[in-house]
Amino acid sequence: MLLEVLNSVFSFQILLFIVLGVFTGICIGALPGLTATMGVALVLPLTFGMEAIPGILLLIGVYVGAIYGGSISAILLRTPGTPAAAATVLDGFEFSKRGESGRALGISTVSSFIGGVVSVLALWLISPQLAKLALRFSAPEFFLLAVFGLSIIASISGNSLAKGVLCGALGITLSFIGIDSITGYPRFTFNNINLLSGMSFIPVMIGLFAMSQAFTTVEKIFTPDQVTQKISKVWPTRSDWKVILKHAPISGVIGTIIGIVPGAGAEIGAFVSYGQAKRMSKHPERFGTGIPEGIAAPEAGNNGVTGGALIPMLTMGVPGDAVAAILIGALTVQGLQPGPLLFTEHTTLVYSIFLGMFVANIAMLLLGLSSLKLFVKVLSVPKAILTPMIFVLCVVGSYAINTNFFDVGVMLFFGILGYFMQKADVSVSPAVLGLILGPMAESNFRRALLMSEGSYTIFIASPIAWVFLFLTLLTLLGPLVGDALKKKKSTM
Amino acid sequence: MKKANFIVSGVFAAFAIFIIAISMGYPPSNHGVPGPGMFPILIASLILISALVLAIQTLRMPKSKDTAIDLKSKNVLNVYITMAGLIVYIVLMPMIGFIVATSIMLVLYIKWFSKRPWWKCILISVVFTIAIFLLFGSVLNVPMRFGLLI
Repeated sequence: MLLEVLNSVFSFQILLFIVLGVFTGICIGALPGLTATMGVALVLPLTFGMEAIPGILLLIGVYVGAIYGGSISAILLRTPGTPAAAATVLDGFEFSKRGESGRALGISTVSSFIGGVVSVLALWLISPQLAKLALRFSAPEFFLLAVFGLSIIASISGNSLAKGVLCGALGITLSFIGIDSITGYPRFTFNNINLLSGMSFIPVMIGLFAMSQAFTTVEKIFTPDQVTQKISKVWPTRSDWKVILKHAPISGVIGTIIGIVPGAGAEIGAFVSYGQAKRMSKHPERFGTGIPEGIAAPEAGNNGVTGGALIPMLTMGVPGDAVAAILIGALTVQGLQPGPLLFTEHTTLVYSIFLGMFVANIAMLLLGLSSLKLFVKVLSVPKAILTPMIFVLCVVGSYAINTNFFDVGVMLFFGILGYFMQKADVSVSPAVLGLILGPMAESNFRRALLMSEGSYTIFIASPIAWVFLFLTLLTLLGPLVGDALKKKKSTM
Repeated sequence: MKKANFIVSGVFAAFAIFIIAISMGYPPSNHGVPGPGMFPILIASLILISALVLAIQTLRMPKSKDTAIDLKSKNVLNVYITMAGLIVYIVLMPMIGFIVATSIMLVLYIKWFSKRPWWKCILISVVFTIAIFLLFGSVLNVPMRFGLLI
């Protein structure tokens, strides 16, 4: 098995795809307005014709690269290239003001690498065990797992619980469209033949994440970006290394844990790591003035999320963040169903993903240290030309999956919807996660009742079920109890 | 934000009622196993409750937290025009053909957004369109030939 994995990853073709993915990812991440999710959604159609391993590794390369690339514009332009780099702006731009942007980029590169490697190690160690545990799940446990995932998504992914639930439920409702998997009854198809097989998942994703983002860019299309400064001395100094080695591994672990939690992505990972580093520091007041800790922590934290997000995705089919949700789409296109069986039936694929992700992190480190000047040039690509090209990529990408123009219409519809949802401060990620977890919840709920002949006690029959029920209650009631306690304190 | 919240709440509530109305007509449960209508009704009820909660929260929101949402400024109007243009593009593309429709769409948007000279816009657009056509059509084997022209 080991030989097979080594053979499959260390072939010229796969290494080329990984490096190409990371390179593209860094460029996409560096450009403000192009997010990691958008990048992965736009590259996804290119993998339809590929085999599973190179296709998935290309996408993972884009993911890893884009999360790191966001720091380049955060440091140089004071604009996070991706939401994941928002925390890096705080200290990163202070370096640039002092003319030390090279130093800041070096710290960011090395810290991202450490965070990424920590998360790949966690992925490697935790997922096989978790998959073994998940093998024991049957319908009731999978139903409760999906409910737990949905509750967590609703409660953390936006500013308002009500809006999170609305959006998640919208995603679930979309999943109802098409022939019911248990009874074969057509639901919400309105006699439209295109809807019989259900809402195509990938055009919805491209619309919500890429197209709507492109519309947002159009708003500011006539305001030019600032010019950048020269980069020198990227390799960190001895004192910077000390800081990096102290903070990056811890932040990597924090990022990984946050990545595992469904719905919490790289943005949250970066902010929590930043906060943790500040709390640990002997001089918290210096955060925000341009200190190396302020870059090392969030950058290791956001790349830590990359591996963590894949853990529940590969082992249980529950996406850890929006990118992991697209990767589920990518695997499904290849005829692979993420979940515990992936670990027993497609072992080579799973371990090739682990090893490939490790290689992607090395590629990121090498590209980051050697070619920063090139990536800085990417920042001057005018969005006035890039944005219309993204329109074309969205259209072609959603057409390519089924070669059906109906899907292009679906993509544009969700692009427009996503734009207005962003305006109303409704986060779109819960919809996509609902679209994946909805069918998982529904089919397993009904299958469980088929198993028990209609008795609802099957949902409390196993210890695993109790754990999920408890976690769900904790997620939903936790914030309410927390708020009540805060109120009590303030009135006392 | 208040107004937007009410719109969100109203639209979702109407959507939920629509879903419930349709699902009521689906076959009933069978020996305790829920039929195809049960989950949609459950989820739509959840939407209805959340929409109500959002409306109540918004009513109780202090005025200081009420931020205006930009839906009418010139920048946003540009977005609306862009959306309309793209709708025309995807309606016409299957009839005209990919290369011609896409090149024209790109030339117009790039000229509008970047104000570069026409010849540059045309060059960029045609080269990019042909590159995408070859990439998807020849390398990835997506059938890209349709419409009257190419």
